[in-house]
Amino acid sequence: MSATDAARSRVSVVREPLRQVSGAHVLAGLRVALSWLQANQQEINDLNVFPVPDGDTGSNMYLTLRSAVEEAQHAPSPSSVDSVLAAAAHGSLMGARGNSGVILSQILRGFAQGVAAHSTIDVHGVARSFKEASAVAYRAVMKPTEGTILTVIREAAEAAVAAAEETDDIRVLLDRVVRESHAAVERTTDQLQVLRDAGVVDAGGFGLAVIFDGFTRAVNEIDGPQPAVPIPIRRPGEPPVRSPRAPDAPEVSVTGGRRGAAAVAAREEGWGYCTEFLINGPDLDVDRLRDELSGLGESALVVGDADLVRVHIHTDNPAGLIAVASQRGRLDKLKVEDMTAQHHDVLERAAPARKPLGIVSVAPASGFREILESLGADSVVLGGQTMNPSTEDLLKAVVGVNADSVILLPNNSNVILAAERVDEVAQDCAVRVVPTRNLPQGISALLAADPSAGVDDNVARMQDAITTVRAVEVTRAVRDSTANGRDIKEGDVIAIVDDDITEIGDDYLAVIEAVLTAQESRPQLVTVYRGGEVSDAVAARLVDSLRESHPDVEFELHEGGQEHYPYVLSLE
Amino acid sequence: MIHVVTDSTSDMTQEQARELGVTVVPLIVRFGEEQFRDGVDLDADAFYRRLTTGKVHPTTSQPPPEEFNAVYKALLRDPADSVVSIHISSKLSGTLQSAHLAVQELGPERIHLVDSESVSAGLQLLVRGAVDDIAHGCEPVEVVDRARELRRRIGIYVLLDTLTYLQRGGRIGRAQALVGGLLNVKPVLVVDDGEVAPQGRVRSRRQGVDMIVEQIRKRAPLRALAVFHTGAPELLGEICSRLTAAFPGTDILEGQVGPVVGAYAGPGGAGVAYEAAG
Repeated sequence: MSATDAARSRVSVVREPLRQVSGAHVLAGLRVALSWLQANQQEINDLNVFPVPDGDTGSNMYLTLRSAVEEAQHAPSPSSVDSVLAAAAHGSLMGARGNSGVILSQILRGFAQGVAAHSTIDVHGVARSFKEASAVAYRAVMKPTEGTILTVIREAAEAAVAAAEETDDIRVLLDRVVRESHAAVERTTDQLQVLRDAGVVDAGGFGLAVIFDGFTRAVNEIDGPQPAVPIPIRRPGEPPVRSPRAPDAPEVSVTGGRRGAAAVAAREEGWGYCTEFLINGPDLDVDRLRDELSGLGESALVVGDADLVRVHIHTDNPAGLIAVASQRGRLDKLKVEDMTAQHHDVLERAAPARKPLGIVSVAPASGFREILESLGADSVVLGGQTMNPSTEDLLKAVVGVNADSVILLPNNSNVILAAERVDEVAQDCAVRVVPTRNLPQGISALLAADPSAGVDDNVARMQDAITTVRAVEVTRAVRDSTANGRDIKEGDVIAIVDDDITEIGDDYLAVIEAVLTAQESRPQLVTVYRGGEVSDAVAARLVDSLRESHPDVEFELHEGGQEHYPYVLSLE
Repeated sequence: MIHVVTDSTSDMTQEQARELGVTVVPLIVRFGEEQFRDGVDLDADAFYRRLTTGKVHPTTSQPPPEEFNAVYKALLRDPADSVVSIHISSKLSGTLQSAHLAVQELGPERIHLVDSESVSAGLQLLVRGAVDDIAHGCEPVEVVDRARELRRRIGIYVLLDTLTYLQRGGRIGRAQALVGGLLNVKPVLVVDDGEVAPQGRVRSRRQGVDMIVEQIRKRAPLRALAVFHTGAPELLGEICSRLTAAFPGTDILEGQVGPVVGAYAGPGGAGVAYEAAG
């Protein structure tokens, strides 16, 4: 069944009750849910609590669900719900990216557990699997927080259980789940201070509601026509949930909205090309460029201003992409990497001799990767802010290290959960995670490593070490917002100190000065890691100014190469 | 009477040596063709100036056996006299080997050699312990036994500004593990079983001092502490105030690391020796 058919289903009036759900229903539901999620991916990405341009919840959930669907399509018995959901759960675990992706994988695992040993299920089975999905998701998170995707799955499960008392029609149940999920998403804004400040709903929760929405539409359509249920899928003041190729949705404004099935198929052929370049202005229209270019690939990132736009897209056709982009401005720093070849490189690299302990780390760019390698990381997975590595990506690196035990340093708060899943899927290797939330913590942890000591000792040393460093990430706000009661205007320079926006100002130097002045305990050493868009000369001037005003502090400047954050600093 | 002999790596000032009645045998420092007796012809301040500004990297060597021979002979003029000679770890220097050759010549009856299995501040704490024991009337054999017991309770941690000097001097050994790659790191070393071993690497002095304080805390209660710097009096001040807060009431002996050890440690570092209560 195609997404077009699903969207056309609104015309009919009468429908038969659906009393049993089979594997075919679930697979169709997951496929449509995937295309709905893809259509809404950018919108979910934009629901970032910080006004910084690295929201990736939508992309992470999409890539996770895509991995689930790919595996579900090859379930050993496609007509059986338990077989299809078990395959989906496994696929999602391997493909899990970002915290929302990991929680989504746990939700799918819960569904699979809830239907275990059943080839079809009735309303009570559906309600049971929702309850299990909620329970497993809560267990996966160490400190469950309300106002997140967890709240949405819990309220969805409550709706499913309540509906199962009143009806034997699974469609009625699912409609109610969708309605209550969206209502729960609306309420998240008031449940979490950060969401209220930012004036957004929770991105992961919204993503889950979109998945239920797409899934339900598919199930509603199977076995004949049925009435369109008026589902309130519009958030106040926000664009409606986008439907893939729905007649009422503007086709071009949706990232990759036309490529739902194609994207899945492409993955079977290869991994595409990771294409990066800068477009030089003047007079660039970033929004228009984004619309033009993001449809030509996946994981699109098009950011910048009228003078300079940075593009990062995974595409099967880099030449076509470059041709389009070069009409808009002069291209610079063009880089095309064959991800299929990279993938093979990883697989074929000769295995080094097995060692007792290895360390795998994550870095957002080559500068940080080189630093981490020079400090003794056995393997560094590229990813982080714009592209969270999946559990499978991390697993590959862990296996490549060929050690009895591996310590994983995620170096990004959004990679921690995916990292924590690696131990479950790693064979012949014990994987421990030291939950480093940023690069400065990761570097401190690595410095504390003692290759001659055991894994427990090393984990303890690293955990101690990460408390001795303070991380400062400096960027520009991408929209108006508030933080800790202060207004932030689009374009303001903001400093995020250990996950909190603490300083707001007009220029980088002033904001960094303010951060340094605000420190209760004066740092002795400040390491400045410049981003990929900051030249060495510009960063050196900034560091010289800092040295002048803080003569008793030692400053070091290194190239981190990270995107989005012109400066990352560690204070210690 | 029992005489105590040590070597210049105990980093005792001439004045301290006089007060304690200890004879210090100097090791040799060379800058190219120029040769100095550690602490005699070259003091610490002049040495660090030269180390940081000069082009030639210094080398060091143990005192010649004749030096020990002369010292022992002078101290043993009276047949009732004996010598307890306490020195830098034999795993770090050939000094004890030289002393041993002198003993071969003079006969072992009245000269007792002790391997401190330590250096600098740690060696000095051990020497001071022996001086105390002699003042309390211990016989030479007792002094030696007590020193061998005491050395198990003495340890030393070292915070260096850089590994460069250890590397240049060819003595990096297991501390190779602390090399910092693209970032500047400060190594923390421990003298363990007479050898220099890596303890950890940090990026700021404060982290290094924290690490040392935490390590020493594991050995509390303490009887004494000693902090010796390598041309970095401000670091010594920082460490002493941290130690005073962490171990109130414990005496802290302050000092400066001399040329021989300083040639490997490099400027900007410090060593902290502790003596755990018995």
